[in-house]
Amino acid sequence: MTFAARRLRNTSIALAALALMGLAVWLHHLALRDTSFLTGWLLVAAFIVLAGYNMRKKLPFLPLADSASWLQVHVYLGYLTIALFLMHTGVKMPNGVLESVLWVLVVALLVTGLFGIAISRLIPGALTQHGERIIYERIPAFRAQLASEVADLATKSVEQTASGTVASYYTQRLQPFFARPRNFWLHLLGSSRPRQAMCREIRSLERYVAKEDQQTLDEIEARVLAKDNLDYQHAWQSLLKGWLFLHIPLTYAAIVVAVVHVVLAYAFASATS
Amino acid sequence: MTVVTNPGTAISRPQRWDRPFGPDMTDADVERVLAQPIFRDIDPAQFPASLSLGDIIRNDARIQRLSAGDVIVREGDYGNSVFVVLSGRVRVVLDGTTDRELGRRTSHDRRNFFQALRQLWANPRQPEVRDVAAYRNGGNVNVRGTAEDARTFIDDLDTFLGRHKTVAIDAGEAFGEIAALARSPRTATVFAEGETEVVELRWQGLRDIRRRDRGFREYVDGLYRQRSLTQHLSESPIFAHLDEATLQRIAEQTIFETHGTFEWFGSFKQVKQRDPSEVLEHEPVIAEEGHYLDGLMLIRSGFARITEQLDHGQRTVGYATKNDVFGLEEVLRHVRHGEELCLRRSLRAVGYVDILRVPTALIEEYVLPTAPPSLLPRTEADGGKDTMPAWAEQCSDLDMEQSLVDFLVDNRTINGTATMLIDTDRCTSCDDCVRACAAAHNNNPRFRRHGPIHENLQVTNACMHCADPVCLIGCPTGAIHRHPSGPVVIDDATCIGCGTCANSCPYDNISMVEIRDAAGDFIVDSATNQPIVKATKCDLCYEQLGGPACQRACPHDALIRIDMRDRETLAKWVNRK
Repeated sequence: MTFAARRLRNTSIALAALALMGLAVWLHHLALRDTSFLTGWLLVAAFIVLAGYNMRKKLPFLPLADSASWLQVHVYLGYLTIALFLMHTGVKMPNGVLESVLWVLVVALLVTGLFGIAISRLIPGALTQHGERIIYERIPAFRAQLASEVADLATKSVEQTASGTVASYYTQRLQPFFARPRNFWLHLLGSSRPRQAMCREIRSLERYVAKEDQQTLDEIEARVLAKDNLDYQHAWQSLLKGWLFLHIPLTYAAIVVAVVHVVLAYAFASATS
Repeated sequence: MTVVTNPGTAISRPQRWDRPFGPDMTDADVERVLAQPIFRDIDPAQFPASLSLGDIIRNDARIQRLSAGDVIVREGDYGNSVFVVLSGRVRVVLDGTTDRELGRRTSHDRRNFFQALRQLWANPRQPEVRDVAAYRNGGNVNVRGTAEDARTFIDDLDTFLGRHKTVAIDAGEAFGEIAALARSPRTATVFAEGETEVVELRWQGLRDIRRRDRGFREYVDGLYRQRSLTQHLSESPIFAHLDEATLQRIAEQTIFETHGTFEWFGSFKQVKQRDPSEVLEHEPVIAEEGHYLDGLMLIRSGFARITEQLDHGQRTVGYATKNDVFGLEEVLRHVRHGEELCLRRSLRAVGYVDILRVPTALIEEYVLPTAPPSLLPRTEADGGKDTMPAWAEQCSDLDMEQSLVDFLVDNRTINGTATMLIDTDRCTSCDDCVRACAAAHNNNPRFRRHGPIHENLQVTNACMHCADPVCLIGCPTGAIHRHPSGPVVIDDATCIGCGTCANSCPYDNISMVEIRDAAGDFIVDSATNQPIVKATKCDLCYEQLGGPACQRACPHDALIRIDMRDRETLAKWVNRK
């Protein structure tokens, strides 16, 4: 099945489910019953299934359907959950403190989920197009290797030409650049200005240095470009990995607060009746 | 003018027999071998001085001295040599041997649900932890010798003989010629009954003698024709519908030949570094475009590149693997449209290829009239080839980008039956695949999520479970073997850590690891105090419920384990939108 066909199928199923839920809520409403209990329990059920995906990931050795199918369920059920949430809360901020906390948690959870699926679909292709795809955990090792090579080139320049130009540029600009990941936010914003600026600086130095140093500067420029790609990969892969550190804790927090909310809702409902 | 060249470092040019198969072969040994019935009628005059019969025996053969119970070949071993009994007697096990009898502890069953679930808490925290007690309490197979000279033996021979139906092979008789010739798994286990001497002739020597001596060729080929050829023919879809008698008639006139080099994996790493335009120069032409087609070619084993002439070069338009046929379209065109029997494309050996050449007349007489139409290619009378222009992106046969086809064939990825491909346009680097692999293997990931990349397609460093598993060749204890369910697996109990398989793997997909006990301390050899090493690799989760954990763990449909012979599925997967 193509991705387009799968999208169409899943969207159709989600819309049908939404229509059924809407019908159920409407019939409940016609029967003059409180629909918030129905939508509330549907939300609880949805949360259990949504959170179940994380459990599935922890049990890869069990035949619990493949992760890609779980993610499809997770994503489309997530969309349905947005609609359910709106039905339950009535598109407004609740009054109580606990309900407000829960509302903020659920909204944050849904927003991080939407953000996650968006970047998961958009970023990998961009990373492939940008340059060599580097394994995240290996980026520090590659960065250290490049830093060492550039330090060697700067040292060699001093030894060969007795000129301090390249060495000075190394200590002032290159050493800090290679010392750690740089331009995190600018990479996320899609800016290549820092890279261009540094390449411009290197090329402008070529006017003043000896012939041997010109070749050294070419080699340094190649490493600057490689380091820039490492920074690009680091920035975007950090984002790809990092969003889950928001999404998953929010899930657990929302579940805990939701349990308290259910208990309180029933307590006050019985008190009212 | 004198041309001065930089002398550099000078060494003798490497020669074929720099490292003889058996370094201890004496003149007397050679004479003794040549006196055996299978060799004694060979006329030495047929061999050039540079490749004399005596030199072949001296360098491509070795004498093995065996004790009672020593296993010579195991059922399922990948064969690349023929044996002749010099003295004593060997026995062939007719009713099959179990993995346990050969010392392997490889499970044939998948885990049950609770065994699978237990991994959640029972996986050790340290890497490569092994149960030391299992090694101490006879968990290891009986092994004599060390490293590549190690040999397994059957401990209680009398009980074993009582349990199995065996047949004796006495001095002067040969065995193992079919597996050596067809590069196929050994069909039976053979062991020494008592003190025995056998001579083992490796494939290169067998090939050279077979090529030059008609009597020897007819003898060996006759055995192959008699015992295995009809079965091999019937395995190909195009011949599968024929009855036994017809297959026998076809087998009688089928020629079989080998192309390329048996040990292609040794030179593959150098081939990978060559310029793309040079790669084809090192692939022997099996059949050339424009030449007369004298027979349909059936690939018995190995893999081949299909090319067509384009300007001054050759374009890869496809590849052929086991049981594929080449030349069928030409035969059909000849029959249906009266076109000349000329090859429209060339076939080249990528590594090693074993071909069965079935005369065209037999194809016309027996195969075409009864073959299922779905197996026959469409042949409109177009009068010529529909050649794609050089700049065309899509490969004409495989519905894939031309550069991707070149990449897959050049890197011999086509050897894989469970190649791990990752679509980097969808991979978020979440490493769920690696974590799942580790969870399914005692917390040890059995692949590395990197490897050669073409555009957005990464061929990951995970065992491909090759159609031609060269890693099996030379394993002294049979620890690495093909599991009945298909994957190539390593039996930890019988692995002696010699590294032969890891060195043979052309794709660097086997790792040697130092093992630890439950406390995390390295397990060392009591004699040398050196760490014990074992070979490890992907086993395709053959024990796990649900199949490969890596593929099932990928949330983004970015990873697949694919049989590269299934070109249709491959094209569909790479062209997904």
